[in-house]
Amino acid sequence: MKRNYGNKEIAFATLAGVLYAFFGLIHIIEGLGIDTGLSGILFIPGDILGGFCLVVIGGVFLYGSREMLQGINAGVSFVYVGILMSLVFMMVYLLIMGGNLLDSFIVPDDYEGWSVMETFRPGIYLGIISLAGILYWRDRFSLNEVLVFREGA
Amino acid sequence: MTEKITVALTGNPNVGKTSIFNAITGSKQHVGNWPGVTVERKIGKRVHNDIEMEIVDLPGTYSLTAYSLDEIIARDFIIEEKPDIVVQVIDATNLERNMYLTTQLMELGVKLIIALNMTDLALAKGDSIDSEKMQEFLEVPVISTIGSKGNGIEGLLDAVADELHKTRVTENIFTYESDIETRGEELENVLNNDPYFVHYPSRWFSMKLLEGDENILKKAKESESYPRIEKILNELDADSFEAKIADQRYKTIQTMLRQVCDINTEHLSGSDMVDRVVTNKLLGIPIFLSLMWAAFEITFTFATPFMNIIDIFFGWLAEAATNAITIPWLSSLVGEGMIAGVGSVLIFLPNILLLFFMLSLMEDSGYMARAAFIMDKIMSKIGLHGKSFIPLVMGFGCNVPAIMATRTIEDTRDRLITILITPFMSCGARLPVYVLLAGAFFGRDAGVVIFSLYALGILVAITSAKLMRSTILRGEDAPFIMELPSYKIPTLKGSFIHMWERGKIYLKKAGTIILIGVVGVWLLASIPAPGSGGTFASEEVYGTTDSVIGVIGQIIEPLVAPLGFDWRIAVALLFGVVAKEIVVGSMGVLYGAGDNEDTLSDILAAGAMSPLAGLGLMVFTLLYAPCFACIGVIKRETGSWKWTLFQLAYGTTLAWTFAFAVYQIGSRIGVLA
Repeated sequence: MKRNYGNKEIAFATLAGVLYAFFGLIHIIEGLGIDTGLSGILFIPGDILGGFCLVVIGGVFLYGSREMLQGINAGVSFVYVGILMSLVFMMVYLLIMGGNLLDSFIVPDDYEGWSVMETFRPGIYLGIISLAGILYWRDRFSLNEVLVFREGA
Repeated sequence: MTEKITVALTGNPNVGKTSIFNAITGSKQHVGNWPGVTVERKIGKRVHNDIEMEIVDLPGTYSLTAYSLDEIIARDFIIEEKPDIVVQVIDATNLERNMYLTTQLMELGVKLIIALNMTDLALAKGDSIDSEKMQEFLEVPVISTIGSKGNGIEGLLDAVADELHKTRVTENIFTYESDIETRGEELENVLNNDPYFVHYPSRWFSMKLLEGDENILKKAKESESYPRIEKILNELDADSFEAKIADQRYKTIQTMLRQVCDINTEHLSGSDMVDRVVTNKLLGIPIFLSLMWAAFEITFTFATPFMNIIDIFFGWLAEAATNAITIPWLSSLVGEGMIAGVGSVLIFLPNILLLFFMLSLMEDSGYMARAAFIMDKIMSKIGLHGKSFIPLVMGFGCNVPAIMATRTIEDTRDRLITILITPFMSCGARLPVYVLLAGAFFGRDAGVVIFSLYALGILVAITSAKLMRSTILRGEDAPFIMELPSYKIPTLKGSFIHMWERGKIYLKKAGTIILIGVVGVWLLASIPAPGSGGTFASEEVYGTTDSVIGVIGQIIEPLVAPLGFDWRIAVALLFGVVAKEIVVGSMGVLYGAGDNEDTLSDILAAGAMSPLAGLGLMVFTLLYAPCFACIGVIKRETGSWKWTLFQLAYGTTLAWTFAFAVYQIGSRIGVLA
């Protein structure tokens, strides 16, 4: 089948997919009590369910990448939905971070020795990749009719 | 002379039937109900080419194998009333699904005209449909229309007038596999020899029998030939025949569509793209779970500072009231009873508001309907219908409207099972109990614990459904047919309104039932038990075993002691049947959160209860008897005290068993003890 989309989508989906899946797995491994040594530097505490969500986002990107490599043009849908999902989760983590920060002012005793960076998560900084994606493909994010495959191969 | 005819307008839901009906009839229409039922009936008149046409707009239907009341009415009208012409309105952007009904109408042998509607949208999508070729293929007139603009209506009416005096040469164009044809002919022979069936097209009737259409089987049972029909039907596998017939129809449609239209696959709408992903076989369910997790994580974590603000405010208010009122018993009633009790419930208002806000975002965006679609496979594995999923998700908000929402489920067994398992879905009223206990014992893992409780509720509901389906409510499951609404970007205003509506109900409840409940608990906690010698509302009596409530609690305590609960919890659970929020309110009163600087959560965490008992209490609250309002609605919707009492007994037994297992196993292995 003729591939009539740009390589940018494939490269983006693969990179984002691998990163999300990798960081998600580290979350899960840490959550199972296994020290990966990455917890401190990359802000990845143990969190099985949070890790599962990142793996799902990674899975969405990688599924799209696989479909596009197979010549299925509509695989690009997974890239766009992956971007939307990662932004939703970035927002969730930012809200949690904000909530904790606000709470530290209301009940400071509960937060002795706590710093806001303790709630910083990969879901936040990985979301920056998606922000770049949404800025690049912003005209595609509409629920109306859109031209999916603009770029010829 | 003017000729009078009846024209029936039929088609799938949302294909533009009503816009075509309005375009034809203009203001000459009236609306009423079908005789005996409350399904809307629209009839209009139009004179065209000296023919007086009575146009009947039938309820939307996907197939002539009728399941819902709407579908039965549409089918019966076509078969029993025998309109002169049937116009099927087809959505040109969704031909394959719409034409399933076409195959059945053609099989029925009615005089059919197809109104290929919304052709402008199909064109905009880049599709091209050769209506002449389609007409040639189907051997029925195909007229392109744009109902909303009135385009093609005159052509449609001309086609009705032309078709009226034509004699049909073919009754059907579909030939099935040989075994279906053989069985079909055997049945046709029986039907043709029985005058009872003269009213029905024998080919269509025999196919419906082979499909196992219950309504048609019921009609057949009234005939004298039924033993012969039954003999033929008993010799075949009904399920495989039904699937084969549907499969054959779809294959025929696909073959035809390949020849008559060119669907543009280079363009996908935004909705199509999102649907491709969220309904994906592999990713659909994990995506759904991730989004639900995100909703619960926010519900718990983001709400914390707002809860603390409310908590601090009520702590201050209780103290101020206690100090200001000099009469000791009144000071206790206001401070420890009313303010502490209601305050310990209102503290969870941010959680309730956030949960409803997020459910509303999912609902308004159109995602919830997709969730039902992706869950259908799992639901059908447990013997339930995909449509059961929506009431179950609604149950996260409140079980009462959720149980009422089961009215959309056609199959009575599916509906009954859904009603019986909906109370296992954690409603908003249980959330305060979870938030209190999870916050007290599990710190920053509270979100995970709460999410797990929701998951446990779903698991229990699923297992119970499976159990009921294979024992007391055996039967075949109905196929999933549901219109997926188009995606919309939810508006903040809409979601805020929805959130506020729910919040208002919660506040109203806190100001009425819960206030009465906590005052009741305070009174019972203040009245000295007979023979105790104490005085009303004295410190020696209040909330101790020397009070009336203490005596009641001690009577029930042996029942809950194996679960690690003391008499206070026993009382709180008993009052929780009135409204689940009272569990927390009662605990606030009984653990003396009002006159203590520490909050209820701190009192519990300081040793008033073990973390294991706390976990057991959350599980018990999740599963035991629902609140009064819910019990009432179960009775109303099932119409039976038997099933209502069954739900109460079943849920409470499960709750006790699960809480017992949590506490006893946990204690034995030394987890969270």
